[in-house]
Amino acid sequence: MVRAVVLWSAALALILSAPAANAAHLVWSGLIIAQNEAQPKPVPEELAAYEETLKELFGYNQFEVIGQSRKTLATGQEDWLAKSKYFALKVDARGEDDAGYDLNLQLFQDQELLLETNTRLSESSPLVIKGPQVGGGQLLLVLLVDDEMKSSGKHHRGHKSSSRIENAWRRITRMFKG
Amino acid sequence: MKTFEEKWTAWVDDQLTGDELAKFEASLPDKAAAEAEKRAAKKLGALLNRELKMQTLHNADFFSHQLREQIDREERLGSPGSSGGGTSFWWPVRRLAWAGAASLAIFMAIAVFVMRQQPTAESQYLTQIKNARLDQANGADATISIFEAKEDRVTVLWTEGLKSLPSEYAAK
Repeated sequence: MVRAVVLWSAALALILSAPAANAAHLVWSGLIIAQNEAQPKPVPEELAAYEETLKELFGYNQFEVIGQSRKTLATGQEDWLAKSKYFALKVDARGEDDAGYDLNLQLFQDQELLLETNTRLSESSPLVIKGPQVGGGQLLLVLLVDDEMKSSGKHHRGHKSSSRIENAWRRITRMFKG
Repeated sequence: MKTFEEKWTAWVDDQLTGDELAKFEASLPDKAAAEAEKRAAKKLGALLNRELKMQTLHNADFFSHQLREQIDREERLGSPGSSGGGTSFWWPVRRLAWAGAASLAIFMAIAVFVMRQQPTAESQYLTQIKNARLDQANGADATISIFEAKEDRVTVLWTEGLKSLPSEYAAK
């Protein structure tokens, strides 16, 4: 009986400790120029899942990445920069909880602060910021958590099954954690 | 040199004779009590002899065979390379293996159950915008609004009135 209790406790501890090993998430930050083109380029793979929503929201048919950054967040206290020639998006992570990462975002045009916001970025909910008009297009800032890129080591959305297993694992750990 | 107890036992069993018997009986403090004790001891001996006679085994060969079998079994269990010793050694490992297999089966069942849930149940959280501010130098009338495209769970921070920039700002 005692041995069984010890065994089950060890199994439970293993389950609960697993998220700690798997807690790091990859955050993709992109500076996008949205515009209408006669022959639009394919949408960046990071945005493929949201292509229709972006087209509907902004009315453009091409979304081109002019600057990007991929950052693996292990502690939730990291900061990073995604920049293009004239714009820079500075991201300062200030902690995390079940609801997501607390981020401070600053958009700079050259050296000038254009926009600042504090957000809580959720794992399954991207953030899109509409920036200034640039020529005939629009500057967009996109931040999303993309663990598929991290787990596959490639920058595409190919292996849905691994994602499903990871999601299932997270749900199980959430069930145990309450 | 015999002790008193040895002489007493010999006297009770009528083993003392001659000079030794005379000396022992002379040394007794109360001969009448000793004689009474001797009689009682002899009476008890006779009773035990009568009542506790060794029983004759009618199936001695079978009993002996059973005994040998039992001894052989115990010897086999006791030897280090025997199968009996192996059982006691592997028993916890087997139990551990069974417990592991059972845990794995339970985990698989839960995993299958959870994976069948709708993807919308992945996370109840949407990205939240706590606050936002625009630099007034880039548009005095610039405004901010926040909304969510629920279908894709996209949170949008929508700005209006920022200064337009020339197309060269689209450079990578």
